Amino acid sequence: MDFTNLASQLNAGIILPEGIVVATLLVVLVGDLIAGRASTRWTPYATMAGLSLAIVALIYQWDTATPLSFLGSFMGDDLSIVFRGIIVLSAIATVPMSIRYIEQSGTSLAEFLVIMMTATLGGMFLSGANDLVTIFVALETLSISSYLLTGYMKRDPRSNEAALKYLLIGAASSAIFLYGMSLLYGLSGGKMKLLEISQSFVAADSDAPIGIIVALVFVIAGIAFKIAAVPFHQWTPDVYEGSPTPVVAFLSVGSKTAGFALAIRLLVAVFPVVSEQWHFVFTALAILSMVLGNVVALAQTSMKRLLAYSSIAQAGFLMIGLVVGTEAGYSSMIFYLLIYLFMNLGGFTCVILFSLRTGTDQISEYSGLYQKDPLLTLCLSICLLSLGGIPPLAGFFGKLYIFWAGWQAGAYGLVLVGLVTSVISIYYYIRVVKMMVVKEPQEMSDAISNYPEVRWDLPGLRPLQVSLILAVVATSLAGILSNPLFTLANNSVSHTPLLQAAIDQQQAPKAVVPPVATIAPAVTSVAQR
Amino acid sequence: MELAQFPWLTVTIFLPITAALFIPFIPDKDGKTLRWYALIVGLIDFVLLVAAFYLGYDFNDSGLQLVESYTWVPQLDLKWSVGADGLSMPLILLTGFISTLAILASWPVTLKPRLFYFLILAMYSGQLGVFAVQDMLLFFFMWELELIPVYLLLSIWGGKKRLYAATKFILYTAGGSLFILVAALAMAFYGDVVSFDMSTLAAKDYTVKFQLFMYAAFLVAYAVKLPIFPLHTWLPDAHGEATAPVHMLLAGILLKMGGYAIIRMNLGMLPDAHAVFAPILVIFGIINIIYAALTSFAQRNLKRKIAYSSISHMGFVIIGIASFTNLGLSGAVLQMVSHGLIGASLFFLVGATYDRTHTLVLNEMGGVGKKMPKIFAMFTTCSMASLALPGMSGFVAELMVFVGFATSDAYSFTFKLIAVMLMAVGVILTPIYLLTMLREIFYGPENQELIEHEALIDAEPREVFIIACLLIPIIGFGLYPKMLTQIYDTTTISLTDNLRSRAFASTEELQPLAFLPHLQAPELPITAD
Repeated sequence: MDFTNLASQLNAGIILPEGIVVATLLVVLVGDLIAGRASTRWTPYATMAGLSLAIVALIYQWDTATPLSFLGSFMGDDLSIVFRGIIVLSAIATVPMSIRYIEQSGTSLAEFLVIMMTATLGGMFLSGANDLVTIFVALETLSISSYLLTGYMKRDPRSNEAALKYLLIGAASSAIFLYGMSLLYGLSGGKMKLLEISQSFVAADSDAPIGIIVALVFVIAGIAFKIAAVPFHQWTPDVYEGSPTPVVAFLSVGSKTAGFALAIRLLVAVFPVVSEQWHFVFTALAILSMVLGNVVALAQTSMKRLLAYSSIAQAGFLMIGLVVGTEAGYSSMIFYLLIYLFMNLGGFTCVILFSLRTGTDQISEYSGLYQKDPLLTLCLSICLLSLGGIPPLAGFFGKLYIFWAGWQAGAYGLVLVGLVTSVISIYYYIRVVKMMVVKEPQEMSDAISNYPEVRWDLPGLRPLQVSLILAVVATSLAGILSNPLFTLANNSVSHTPLLQAAIDQQQAPKAVVPPVATIAPAVTSVAQR
Repeated sequence: MELAQFPWLTVTIFLPITAALFIPFIPDKDGKTLRWYALIVGLIDFVLLVAAFYLGYDFNDSGLQLVESYTWVPQLDLKWSVGADGLSMPLILLTGFISTLAILASWPVTLKPRLFYFLILAMYSGQLGVFAVQDMLLFFFMWELELIPVYLLLSIWGGKKRLYAATKFILYTAGGSLFILVAALAMAFYGDVVSFDMSTLAAKDYTVKFQLFMYAAFLVAYAVKLPIFPLHTWLPDAHGEATAPVHMLLAGILLKMGGYAIIRMNLGMLPDAHAVFAPILVIFGIINIIYAALTSFAQRNLKRKIAYSSISHMGFVIIGIASFTNLGLSGAVLQMVSHGLIGASLFFLVGATYDRTHTLVLNEMGGVGKKMPKIFAMFTTCSMASLALPGMSGFVAELMVFVGFATSDAYSFTFKLIAVMLMAVGVILTPIYLLTMLREIFYGPENQELIEHEALIDAEPREVFIIACLLIPIIGFGLYPKMLTQIYDTTTISLTDNLRSRAFASTEELQPLAFLPHLQAPELPITAD
């Protein structure tokens, strides 16, 4: 009796999806303890089922009347639902990738799944966290599980190296982030809830005091580490190269999404007082990420490193949506995340499949793949071209929406940088396509000439095939039939009071034009007339 | 009438690409079924286009016809909106005609036939789309859509330096099309109404300064495609490496996208800026004509020679566009259609010759006329058409541009005098290099090595048929150009009227175009009346 009473007081129903994930996690963990190695036959499917159930629960919570739960510590508004949904989807897609991969490495699958679900849980809580403690606990849950995942290949020195690197840099950035939060706690006079902190800042009525700016800088350092924005990206290529590929897939989508969820909630809720400053910083981060990510990707020889730099660049595009801060801006960011989920996970699935069959990730080893495996070639080409923004694939529409929103808000400089760098990106994506499709039979790489016969009936490959085809179909059609996704992204923004308040505030006093707009003063002045 | 309601353009645009999606499932061993399949699809589509033209198109209507508009992505204001006016209709028909013949011309292709026909059909759709769409975003979409098919067609089936050529092509075009998107966004967000619809954009009242920026942006994008002098360098490489059918598409249709877009956007939407830029266009047109003709003269590679002659012929299109007279504009459109036919026929014949001699270097040919009399005859006829022999369409087109420009009241007499003289020099250069080329291939002493090593069989009926198909309209339009001009006359007249009323609005008397003082041709005392 007390329990139900307590639950209703806390409005605990909001975290039902997280509850389902925890239950699944326990079932897999205990089941593995009881059944031992034999459990590998059902644990991945149980994981997928549990996570899908969590998605269903999320759908039922759409537009819930009372989103605030746990006395204001957790926010279940539509924005958080979208982000949680993306994280769970990326976890679901990672499962079929990992079955065969983990099997071949000879480690336990169930433990992997459990750690991954813990990371998912951390990401989900992070998307809805509404006070400082919840944010930090969720962030650490996500981070520590990620460290474990990157080092999951115990016998592979590169995986160990990646885990250690990730751990050291991650711990340092967590510490900085924590310091920033402690400053916030102190400056606000001991407040924990995000909105209360910002209210106390507004009440203090000092125009961007130095203390808040210092706190902002520290907080941004923590966030930028999570979303791998330049110059906080140094860990990305090494960790991506060394870690097990399914983990990379999860990190590049799930973990990054959680980082963006944190960025939106924290920056918009806590820092309206210094909104010009954080817009400026994120503009700089966006430009650096787009330029450096896309340019350095040109020189990569390893597929995983290429995708690492490409994911840095994609984060740069996403930040445009965050920086412009209009309704279309936030929607375009969410829309792009949704599409990025499909195309990036589809790409990683192909890379995993290739490395399962040949045991290599080198781009040069892909040459001539079309002769041996047309389906894999087609899927990887579609995903890469979509990442490059070639119509009629989904990525084209994602980028178009972001640039559209950016231009609408007057961020001409950012849009121009984005356009130029996306032309550069076409070059390195198409280089891989060229390797696979164009090379003559006599130019085939060793890996391809010894390519095993294409078989899908090995254990664990069937789900991989299904998820690959689903991702590719979504990537090809999500652009052309994009209306539902657009509506979803728009609704999640328009139904979220937090963002609405921020948008109104931004439009009311002065239209905040990001400082970069001065890069193209001529176009700006002409267009504004 | 029931038939008028039929969505002609949508169906014709989607038919080839939809049919292409079935190609992977067609049982086929050696590509023979596939080529018939592709040919039949191409023919059906062409018949549908002709039916649409015959049943739904009215010559006397200067506005858009066969209009369809459906909302696609309301959040972006992206509409599926197609229609055809006098400007699009001839080019749409040309696309259907040349594409179908290109499929017939690709009979000998045996390498990766599935991919080849898939890409050809995809291009068919994309190119029809470029000419038919009436929404700027959709135009950008279609413009980008043909990037990958052309890239792959060049890089897989091309000559020795094909990868270099293909990469150069894609970077030039993608870099150019970035300007289309920027200008489209800037124009759509200009003023109070956000719209990408072309007629709405044309109706907006832009300031002259804004128009100048937009004009410059569009000009860069389309100058790459057309091509105009300093941005033409991708073309000889791409055309020099392409295989004959791809070549026909590149020369026959792709180049026309640039000319079409300049008339539709630069001239139709930004008339004030056109008045400023027109003298520059004339100068670039003259450079195109003379520079490319001289370069063509120096080429030892047959394909590059013809490629430069294409650039030279496009110079007339530019001058026609800049002439401010209906006659000149009419000549420009006629020149585009005429060059589409002549260029395609010449490139096809070059391909046919190469199939026999297996060399493109003129030094290694000579005296093959005796062995291949039919090819010799066809090559000579098409070269005559290209050098504007009276009675062929090229002659009429060039004459119209000449007379149109010479009678234009927009330029000072001296400027016209010098320009016409220089154009005339180009007209003299064309026969020189074309006749020299003919002499080097077919006349003179037989090249013993060639005769001994290659089987020089004469043209087969398929090849004669293709050339006959192309020659009939070439001669037809040459003898009775009204057959073609009546299709678009009302449109070009209304375009010219609009242009003149805007460009000369400021003063009652017609002033020579001299907005930029240093571009005004100097008034020599002798000619100053």
